[in-house]
Amino acid sequence: MTDEELMLAICNGDESAFHTIVRTHHKPLSHYAFRILGSKKDTEDITQETFLRLWINADKWQPGKSKLSTWLHRIAHNLCIDYLRKKDNAETEELDDHAVAGAENNTKLEQSSELERLNKALGGLPDNQKNALVLCHYQGFSNKEAAAIMGVSVKAVESSIARAKRSLRKQLASSITDNNKNPKTRAEL
Amino acid sequence: MTLEEFTKIIVCYGAQSDRWPAAVRDAAIDLTATSTEAQNLLAEYVQLEALLDQQQVPDFPNLESRILSQTLPARNHALIDRLINWLLPATSVRLLWRPVLAASLPLFFGIVVGNFFSFGVDVEAIETAEYWEDELYMLSLNDYSEAP
Repeated sequence: MTDEELMLAICNGDESAFHTIVRTHHKPLSHYAFRILGSKKDTEDITQETFLRLWINADKWQPGKSKLSTWLHRIAHNLCIDYLRKKDNAETEELDDHAVAGAENNTKLEQSSELERLNKALGGLPDNQKNALVLCHYQGFSNKEAAAIMGVSVKAVESSIARAKRSLRKQLASSITDNNKNPKTRAEL
Repeated sequence: MTLEEFTKIIVCYGAQSDRWPAAVRDAAIDLTATSTEAQNLLAEYVQLEALLDQQQVPDFPNLESRILSQTLPARNHALIDRLINWLLPATSVRLLWRPVLAASLPLFFGIVVGNFFSFGVDVEAIETAEYWEDELYMLSLNDYSEAP
């Protein structure tokens, strides 16, 4: 069944169609949420909420306007933004998050220092830059699709990606060492 | 293509040439064949992206079952909502006949009602009356006085 047929079935209350969509899309959505939020618990909550919104608002998806994966990422993006805003404003939640982050930092100790620096550099990016980079680099969306998900112009996405990469390049300069030794040949491109 | 334009492409679209805009792809690839600076820049961004790819996300082994086992709210909307959703489906162009049918219904209704019900109005009587009124009006305009 196509996404369109599955969504039409969901509109008619078909739970098996909902299960099929969950199985297909939950991994990329959870990866996206984790890269933005950095917490396993929050990622699971946001991903679950995203699919609940899909069930409730299935009739609002317009296949002519966007792919289902783009629409789902837009829901997840909005939930992540809302969550991060609330988190900034709530002291108690902040304390809980520190506890979670602390637990995750323990696992990070096992990672190489290079990876630690990468995580730190990515974590330090402003939200819009991180979102644009995650959507285009990790989730494989085009700049146009990323713009639709983030609700901004394509130019704004390109500007965010450029700033993010320049910032990462600066912070990870020592890890990018062999840049002059093995340049890509035309055949490799 | 200038090095500045090439840099913009690499930064905005990534180091993989299949993601570059088709209109400038060949020119960009040609530049990497001739310019050492472009080669160095490309190599640097290839390395940066390889480094980014090292970041892993953890597994979420219970997430799928957690989502599937959640209690979903009933999708039985109010009758008016279901009627609107049926008439104006957002999910398929193939169902365009539904709003067309809905828009045509008042027309069909008017034809049927107009055909079978007179609502107490005698059309023939109106036409006859109008005819006589016109006739009298025309007669009044005639000059019946005989000229001397």
